[in-house]
Amino acid sequence: MTQLRTEEFTVNMGPHHPSTHGVCRLLLTMDGERVVHIEPYIGYLHRALEKICENRTYPQCIPILDRFEYVTAMSCNYVFALAAERLASIQVPERAEYLRVIMLELNRMASHLLWYGTTALDLGAITPFLYGFRERELILDLFEMTCGQRLTYNYIRIGGVARDIPPQFIPKCREAVKTITEKMSDYEGLLNENPIWMARNKKVGVMSPELAIAYGVSGPPLRASGVKYDIRRNDPYSIYDRFQFNIPTQRNGDCYDRYIQRLQEIKESLKIVSQALDGLPEGDIKAKVPGVFKPPAGEVYARMENSRGELGVYLISDGTNKPLRVKTRGGSYNNLQVLPELGKGLLIADVVAIMASLDIIMPEVDR
Amino acid sequence: MTPIIASGELIVLFRWLHAQLASVGLPDIWVTVITYAVLGVFMFALLAVIALFLVWWERKISAHIQQRFGPMRVGWHGWYQTIMDALKLLQKEDIRVDTRDKPVFFWAPVLCFVAAFLAYVSIPFGDGLIVSDLNIGILYIIAVTTFTIISLLMAGWGSNNKYALLGGMRSAAQVVSYEVPMIASILTVILFSGSLSMVKIVESQTGHGIFNWFVFRVPFGPIAFLTYLITATAETNRTPFDIPEAEQELVAGYNVEYSGMKFAMFFLAEFVNMFTVSAIATTLFLGGWNGPFLPSWIWFLGKTLFVVFILMLFRWTYPRLRVDQLMEFSWKFLVPVTFANLILAGWMKYAKWHW
Amino acid sequence: MTKDELREYIATRYSGKLTPLDLGRYELLYAADATGFKELARELYEDEQLKFDYLLNLGGIDTKERFEIIYNLGSIEKNHRIDIKLSLPYENAEVDSVQEIWPGANWFEREMWELYGINVRGHNNLKRFLLPDDWNQGHPMRKNWTAPDFIKLPEAGV
Repeated sequence: MTQLRTEEFTVNMGPHHPSTHGVCRLLLTMDGERVVHIEPYIGYLHRALEKICENRTYPQCIPILDRFEYVTAMSCNYVFALAAERLASIQVPERAEYLRVIMLELNRMASHLLWYGTTALDLGAITPFLYGFRERELILDLFEMTCGQRLTYNYIRIGGVARDIPPQFIPKCREAVKTITEKMSDYEGLLNENPIWMARNKKVGVMSPELAIAYGVSGPPLRASGVKYDIRRNDPYSIYDRFQFNIPTQRNGDCYDRYIQRLQEIKESLKIVSQALDGLPEGDIKAKVPGVFKPPAGEVYARMENSRGELGVYLISDGTNKPLRVKTRGGSYNNLQVLPELGKGLLIADVVAIMASLDIIMPEVDR
Repeated sequence: MTPIIASGELIVLFRWLHAQLASVGLPDIWVTVITYAVLGVFMFALLAVIALFLVWWERKISAHIQQRFGPMRVGWHGWYQTIMDALKLLQKEDIRVDTRDKPVFFWAPVLCFVAAFLAYVSIPFGDGLIVSDLNIGILYIIAVTTFTIISLLMAGWGSNNKYALLGGMRSAAQVVSYEVPMIASILTVILFSGSLSMVKIVESQTGHGIFNWFVFRVPFGPIAFLTYLITATAETNRTPFDIPEAEQELVAGYNVEYSGMKFAMFFLAEFVNMFTVSAIATTLFLGGWNGPFLPSWIWFLGKTLFVVFILMLFRWTYPRLRVDQLMEFSWKFLVPVTFANLILAGWMKYAKWHW
Repeated sequence: MTKDELREYIATRYSGKLTPLDLGRYELLYAADATGFKELARELYEDEQLKFDYLLNLGGIDTKERFEIIYNLGSIEKNHRIDIKLSLPYENAEVDSVQEIWPGANWFEREMWELYGINVRGHNNLKRFLLPDDWNQGHPMRKNWTAPDFIKLPEAGV
């Protein structure tokens, strides 16, 4: 009996995506309905940020790096400021540190709410997109009140923050925290126990802890695979060691666990923001930094826990007012690298679900 | 030969027309043809109005579920938004791919709309407001709505696009596999009403207030209603079963190559189909036009719009099932449940455990 | 292990292969030899006390005199970090790929090859990555590279 001749064919999940992950092209090699191989083609959003930063002074690099990962621009500002402060041994005042933590955690929540909306949208539930954005508006209003911007802030500067919070920030922030805490039960009630959601997400894209560590995966996907590693605890920066918060982990490492992981992280962020608001001291908001910032020659790798993973900057200074090298590293870079391993043998609909659950933002990958 | 238009509140117009034409002295055949032509135009206009209303309603309901307003500018709360959208779609360039299969590509949307429209021959809009009370009413409706499968396959094939073909085939597979539990749910009702005629089905639900409605006849009634609702959602390609139409999935639907008015035909046919399955649900399970005080057609419309509302709620709440999960759900869950329900209903009728 | 313990341990076990640099401002920074780096990397990965199984970052650097490659390694279990730098001359800059040890290094090395021109031996997929497929204007991240249409504006007095 002759064998039926089958052929693999390639399908292009082209740069134009209905989902808002950014421009990423995935070349899927399919055998019938099953995916055999995924090849990501990136570089559509390459803006040569690292090369640009080599020709800018240190304070000028901060708005450039805002665009490095624009959904959590506060984190990008912060990690560069952290690297520069470590190079020049600058002590940041207390009030500035508290404000930084509040802004970072608010940004993390805003990013996770965006992720929630777009993940549900990718899988067909259109309404949670609007609910996530409704809460995100509260946070963006707070940012606009503070630094005038909703997306790329240029707020965390070397030595502190750019300007102090207005007096109506604290009551509005507490109100926002309260509203989001209440609405979390809405989000969980809508999708957590939904049989369709569970059928689409459970056992899909299982990432073992060994695979995650081998590929350098960080952030919620790593913790959802069971590895309890959070840079806020393992390598503390800023004043995170003063706050009480848990590091949730999940067991299975499938898409559903990554979903639950991020929802739990929103709750932890809410706790941190409340504690920071309670303990906010008076004082300066910026250390005395010389007008022309020339750190002594040296190298430092500053890393922080972003909502997508580990955000790192390897900063090399040669004593002049411009950095010699700014090597940036975003969490989505490694998380996208592990996608071909996760997607083998699944259907296209599952590839969409995995990409949504990994929370990949292309500007971090392409820079 | 008298036309088969039964008595009722609104058909006075047709009686008058018929009498006028007969008095003018036209031969009988012409009177029949003209009366039916006018009736056809009237039904078409009614369906167009229903489709336009449903599109507007869906936009408002989805907006309010998502805490926003929906169309607000085009008239009071945007009531003529859909008319404007339809006019816009009429003006759009009718893009036709060179390599398409010309007759198939052309006739697919036409067939879709005609199939959707033909079902209204036997749907009772009220007491006596039915175009033709066929004595095989519900069987005719099911048979005719199945033509939409052919139009989906034609659209997929005629587009000369491998993604459209895949989408069309998936869609056809989905509709065909959900026909079986749908028919089994309907048969449960037929057992008790004793007739396939839509009017007799409604009449068998009169008396005892609402407790005679088939949906309240436990234990088989609610189960049949629920399974019918699920299969109806799948028949009309709505979420959670809208893989063929999903933009977020890679393989776009069967109507990806259509633009302008042809696309509008598919789109409106979907809403007309939604109204059809809701009308069938109302007639079979919710007592048709029965109800106190108000005219019968208001009850019918109210109940049908209630079922349409439930279908719209499904769309804006649930995520979408994957294609293999969808087929599994139909064949491995719905078919056994509906057949068990049917056997239960048959046994109850045989053992006379009903009222 | 704390930083001091780590420094001592490396000074005793890897004294020939890892030389400490005092340019590092936060973590321990070591220089290593480019030629035998893959074996050294495997030793660091398998060493029971160090267990550097997590590659955080791998990047190319162009100081104006030579190329350098930085490896930021970490350990999930032991929770310590180390940075290793290799120095390469401008001509025939080559290094072995470490993707067999840390598969996550694959994309980092590919990007480094593309933007700097450092050849990576043993890499399975050295193709165009961030730049367009038909890019033929050299390696952009080098300090002596200028874009063909680059116009230098006068410095604004910073």
